[in-house]
Amino acid sequence: MLKYFISFCFAFVFALGAAQTESDTLVATPIDSSIVTHKQKYGIRFGVDLSRPITGLIADEYSGIEFVADYRLNYKLYIAGEFGNEKKTKQETLYNFTTSGSYGKLGIDYNTYANWYGEQNSIFVGARYAFSSYSQTVNNYRIYDADRYWNGTEFSLGSEEIKEFDGRTASWLEGVVGIKGELFANIYLGFSARIGFLLSNANRDTNFHDLFIPGFNKVTDGSKFGVGYNYTLTYFLPLYKKTKKPKKVKEKEKPKPKSEE
Amino acid sequence: MKKIALVFSILTVIIFFSGCEKDDICIDAATPQMVIRFYDQFDSSMLKEVTSLNVQGILDDVVFPVIENVSTTEIQVPLRVDGTSTSFLITRNLTPTDSTTADIDTVVFNYDLNEQFKSRACGFVMNFENIEGTGPTINNWIKMIEVLTPSLTQNDTITNVKIFH
Repeated sequence: MLKYFISFCFAFVFALGAAQTESDTLVATPIDSSIVTHKQKYGIRFGVDLSRPITGLIADEYSGIEFVADYRLNYKLYIAGEFGNEKKTKQETLYNFTTSGSYGKLGIDYNTYANWYGEQNSIFVGARYAFSSYSQTVNNYRIYDADRYWNGTEFSLGSEEIKEFDGRTASWLEGVVGIKGELFANIYLGFSARIGFLLSNANRDTNFHDLFIPGFNKVTDGSKFGVGYNYTLTYFLPLYKKTKKPKKVKEKEKPKPKSEE
Repeated sequence: MKKIALVFSILTVIIFFSGCEKDDICIDAATPQMVIRFYDQFDSSMLKEVTSLNVQGILDDVVFPVIENVSTTEIQVPLRVDGTSTSFLITRNLTPTDSTTADIDTVVFNYDLNEQFKSRACGFVMNFENIEGTGPTINNWIKMIEVLTPSLTQNDTITNVKIFH
């Protein structure tokens, strides 16, 4: 008997659900299709990364600049890219090297943030293909020798001539997460963090590996991953407005007040 | 709000992992040392002990500290990385109690240098190529030097140089 009782319960639930959806559609349909229209701005957004020039001011051994831009394709999708130039000198324990070069990144951003009416903010995830062309210069170095019998405590200097490795290239894929908020009209402040996956081998078969790649950042031994970030200040140039296509009414819509019935 | 929380947690994870540095300590590379073994001059395959063996480096008449020997038939010596020639004073003393009876021979090794970049932590180490050894010809206890492996690229336990006495 108990079995049947439970079945009866289910039957009632079903009926309840059916009744609910019916009353919803009656009320919701006229509002969605005719009264509310989302006119949204489309255009190109461009600007600079703030973190690179600021780092350059603070640290003597670094200089860099990055330009960023994106173009809105539809409600959520943007074509996005970065272009930059970096020069970094790094003192490791026994050697000192300078990396200098340019890079470009191109890909898409996908906005996951549902803006309220009039808002233009975004929380986005994205992907990039990136390419960099650079040179590595070993400014000076000492020879690592665990024993140091001949030199006492000092490591002996390597040869005087500067080792320069020109014309190097690297490419990598990048995953991006970030936010952009509208500060004033059409002026945006953004932050993004990136994980890069190197497609080339960082010249590990040569006599000086890539320890830093412009745009990619630090290269870690035995790993193809790198991390980076930027703080962007961008200007949005609106080109046209487009109405957001009305979404198909989902069953998730809020229940309407009972008084309508 | 959930999405903001998600993005921030992803950022936190990225920053957390970017702090990990596995390449701060050099463990996988070194400037190698040369292994010398002492053999019998009459039977070139027989190891022969050197009585109270004592090896010291010498550079421009400056004598360096004693290099600790592995055994009385084997020693590992460091070659200079800032020059293409290294000299050692190799001493034997048949009557160890009397220092005046010591036989001191000077052995010179000439070679080419070859710097190798190994890793971020290790940087550059030195490899040695075309090693040649020459011993004394007058009043000498060392009769012959034979270089078995003219290039020295890693720390190894194989014999690089045979000294016959």
